[in-house]
Amino acid sequence: MTEAGPTPPAVETRGLERIYRIKPRPVTALAGVDVRVEPGEFFGLLGPNGAGKTTLIKILTTLLLPTSGSARVFGFDVVSETKQIRRIMNMVAGGEQSGYGILTTREQLWMFSQFYGLGTREGWRRVDELVELVGLTEQREQRVSTLSTGQRQKLNVARGLLNDPWILFLDEPTLGLDVGAARAVRELMTAWRAAVPGRTILLTTHYMAEADELCERIAIVDRGRILAIGTPAELKRRVQRESIFRLEVDRLAAGARALAPLPGVVSAVPASEADTGREAAGRGTVAITLVLRDDAALGGVVGALGELGARIVALRKSEPTLEDVFVELVGRGFEDEAEGDGARPPMPGAEPAAPGPSHTTHPHEPGEPSDEPLAT
Amino acid sequence: MSRTAVSGSAMSEAVALDPGRLRGRPVRDAWRSFATAARLGWQMEANWTDPLLFFIYSVAKPVAAALILVVMIEVIGGSAGRGLRAFVVVGSALWSFVVSGMAGLAWSVLDDRERYRMLKYVYVSPSAFGIVLLGRGMARLAIGAMGAAITLAVGVAFLGVPLDLARVDWPLLAVAMPLGLVAIVALGAMLAAVCLQTRQESWSYPEAAAGALFLVVGAVFPLHVLPAMAQAAGLLTPLTWWLEGVRQALVPGSASAIGGDGSLWAELSGHATPGGIEITAALLATSALVTLVAATVFRLSERRAKDRGLIDRTSGS
Ligand SMILES: Nc1ncnc2c1ncn2[C@@H]1O[C@H](COP(=O)(O)OP(=O)(O)OP(=O)(O)O)[C@@H](O)[C@H]1O
Ligand SMILES: [Mg+2]
Repeated sequence: MTEAGPTPPAVETRGLERIYRIKPRPVTALAGVDVRVEPGEFFGLLGPNGAGKTTLIKILTTLLLPTSGSARVFGFDVVSETKQIRRIMNMVAGGEQSGYGILTTREQLWMFSQFYGLGTREGWRRVDELVELVGLTEQREQRVSTLSTGQRQKLNVARGLLNDPWILFLDEPTLGLDVGAARAVRELMTAWRAAVPGRTILLTTHYMAEADELCERIAIVDRGRILAIGTPAELKRRVQRESIFRLEVDRLAAGARALAPLPGVVSAVPASEADTGREAAGRGTVAITLVLRDDAALGGVVGALGELGARIVALRKSEPTLEDVFVELVGRGFEDEAEGDGARPPMPGAEPAAPGPSHTTHPHEPGEPSDEPLAT
Repeated sequence: MSRTAVSGSAMSEAVALDPGRLRGRPVRDAWRSFATAARLGWQMEANWTDPLLFFIYSVAKPVAAALILVVMIEVIGGSAGRGLRAFVVVGSALWSFVVSGMAGLAWSVLDDRERYRMLKYVYVSPSAFGIVLLGRGMARLAIGAMGAAITLAVGVAFLGVPLDLARVDWPLLAVAMPLGLVAIVALGAMLAAVCLQTRQESWSYPEAAAGALFLVVGAVFPLHVLPAMAQAAGLLTPLTWWLEGVRQALVPGSASAIGGDGSLWAELSGHATPGGIEITAALLATSALVTLVAATVFRLSERRAKDRGLIDRTSGS
């Protein structure tokens, strides 16, 4: 980075590829990612399990080397300029119980403050400041091993803020936390970034609502590719011209798949748990997200359901969510993976999906070129 | 790629981005990392919830190891074995130090990665990874030194090890100690490099490696009983020279582990046992070699771990 010139992008990758050479065959975790995050942005990477989110974060945080392509953080190359990057970034991952159990909250933070080159007094001052900021004042002299999962994650966040990073990488920071702890972590992150202009956050998540709530711009990733980039509103506009219904039915043996071939149906996929899927599962019914070309197609669907012997429990029209965008982009629901790759229903109007057992192959592209980021 | 949709929050002048943050002070920062890692490493190793376990591990184990050897030579050699006592007790005490010193670094890698899951956070901090590991390893080195000192004290007090402070060769001790320390740490770094590559829990690797070395370094029996190849391996190992140097310094005139009738040393050098200068020179040369090799191996291992994504791997993941 030239100190006089304009600030380079916080993150910039070009043709970034990462292949894991493992048996029985190599896995392509990133298949050519081009992404640019500006300083000051709250940027999200949204994608299902195995999409390559963690791999991208690991490359940007200098934990992993790319196979090809380039990646820069504030203009510094992740391969050759790691020292600079490590001084100005930090990262916090979720879903793991990390920590030096035998140290106290303050000791563990102090240890890292020294790794970040803070002076002794400055280090303690910063530690106490952060302990208070994340709400661990009562636990400050408690051993890390005695902290709850949520408290440990707050400690982890405090560690991530020790060096007051220019950019903070968050890899599913709320994974495994209860609603209250997750909200606390989200609020911390939002407040931290807003406090000083220029602070940048790159967050990965597979919670749609989290991405929608926190991020100014989102990249939707799947199978190592970026399918679309835009603000949540821009992304949702992609599906606005269609009609979206949340449908809950009883006695539909074939599930959502049975509706996909009907005329006027753009897609019919099981609703995600986060949406209505969990409640429906509790009632023993099937929740389906139904995307229709227009409202008029609904009559046909209702009729077909009757012929199939299914009973409609609930039906409502809904505003598009990021999940609908994802379905539109990849032709399958976010949590469809369990059904197996080959069994996915084909998108109407598209070539049938090439069965892709691993991430080395790519499924059909939906109607429009999808790895082209959204431009508005 | 079109980027017309770039966020509006990008700013021409970003207040948070203080370029001063990019600069560090290499020497001061390295020292800080090392000292902190050593201090908290000590807290983690020694501040065990169970002091009894700590005692057994750090004191009882090395003392018992020395006692077993003493009893064994007593049974086998009878009174003839008496002369070997000092040799065996000193060798065995020093060896316990070698083992905990070598294991220290390797176990820090495994502990941080497997148990605490903090290795990646340490790794992405600006402090040099190797320096932090060294600091962490110091704690076990110190615990090992404590065990060795107590074993020696037991040897002097109860087993008739003829340690006479007035006769100790202090200059030789002062030169041999730091060189040996460097060699032990270098070997530990090599083991750490190996452990970084493994996906299984490889807690036993350090002790296995130490066990193999134990055979050729003349810790409790002289090299000349070994085949020539094994003796050659021993002569190339800095630990052999370190043990010899410290033993000759503490108990001048005690039996040599390296020379003697029919030893490879005698054959090569033309005289029976190496003197202080020869020991020092050999220790210096072999330590330097091992340190160089260790630094290279460690760097290669780090690079490979980064290439394969092993830094945050756990055996469960
Ligand atoms: N160290 C590794 N060795 C081999 N394959 C790996 C490794 N790490 C990740 N992968 C593979 O790379 C792909 C992308 O994984 P990655 O962890 O980046 O996904 P993700 O988007 O973070 O998923 P999740 O939501 O489950 O965390 C997956 O197919 C995964 O199996
Ligand atoms: Mg992940």
